[in-house]
Amino acid sequence: MSTEVTALQGALAAEHAAVYGYGVVGAMLAGPELADARADWTAHQVARDALEAMLIKLGATPVAASPAYTLPFAVTSAKSAEQLAVTLENGVTRAYLGLVAVSNPTLRAFAAQAMQAAANRSTAWSGATQAFPGMPA
Amino acid sequence: MLAASPTTLPLFLALSGCAGPAVLSAPPAVSPQTQLLLHAVAAEHNLIWIYNKAVAVYSGLAPTLAPLRAEHEAHLAQLRGRVIEPSGKPVPDTVTSRPTLGATQGAVVGQLRAAEQAAVKAMMSRLAGASPSLAQLYASIAASEATHASVLGAGVGA
Repeated sequence: MSTEVTALQGALAAEHAAVYGYGVVGAMLAGPELADARADWTAHQVARDALEAMLIKLGATPVAASPAYTLPFAVTSAKSAEQLAVTLENGVTRAYLGLVAVSNPTLRAFAAQAMQAAANRSTAWSGATQAFPGMPA
Repeated sequence: MLAASPTTLPLFLALSGCAGPAVLSAPPAVSPQTQLLLHAVAAEHNLIWIYNKAVAVYSGLAPTLAPLRAEHEAHLAQLRGRVIEPSGKPVPDTVTSRPTLGATQGAVVGQLRAAEQAAVKAMMSRLAGASPSLAQLYASIAASEATHASVLGAGVGA
């Protein structure tokens, strides 16, 4: 498997997890926050579809979503739901950082743009910025 | 220990087909990748300068701007750490652009936002020629700066 395919599969797996996770996030929210969660959920579905198309174009079989995911913590309130959204976005940002390391300049730029989108969503949920989104702490 | 003598070194070089070091030639030119890195360092210096100026003039913005400035200082430290300085020729830590600050608090926030957006664009332009690890640093900093632009666009200073 090429480096590009491996990195794309990693990003796709993170997007699958985000699509699942936002279902949990949305269930705990209402009003404008629910609308935000729906918009972010849609963004991750669009990204997932784009990654699947890229993988198919490269002759690879896109990794499938898991039937269920273990949440990193119990989501029992709007606050914990928003924390989960931050966790999901940070995970997606990390996955795209892996894709930035490939040598293909088009994929690099695509991944860097995706990092910006995910970092912005993370900031919108947390209210805080990060010096190095996606990088190991 | 093997020591080269005036008579054995030319003989060795002749046998090995090596012309030997050109000791009087100019130092190697700075690589394009290093040039891009030095531009990134200068850009962070310039951003920090605007933040410092903005906080000095509009102290009411400090709670919002200080965390963003601190992240730029972290960016600068990481970028600076990637520069391998030629011996005896340290990379200058200087500000290369000192724009006039906006006349109102709102104008300054808009100015900072525009500077962040320009920084993201410039960082993206450095991706293609960078090593994988440097590209990741550029992409991460670009993502951070994109969030700065969003924060500054969210009614700060209005």
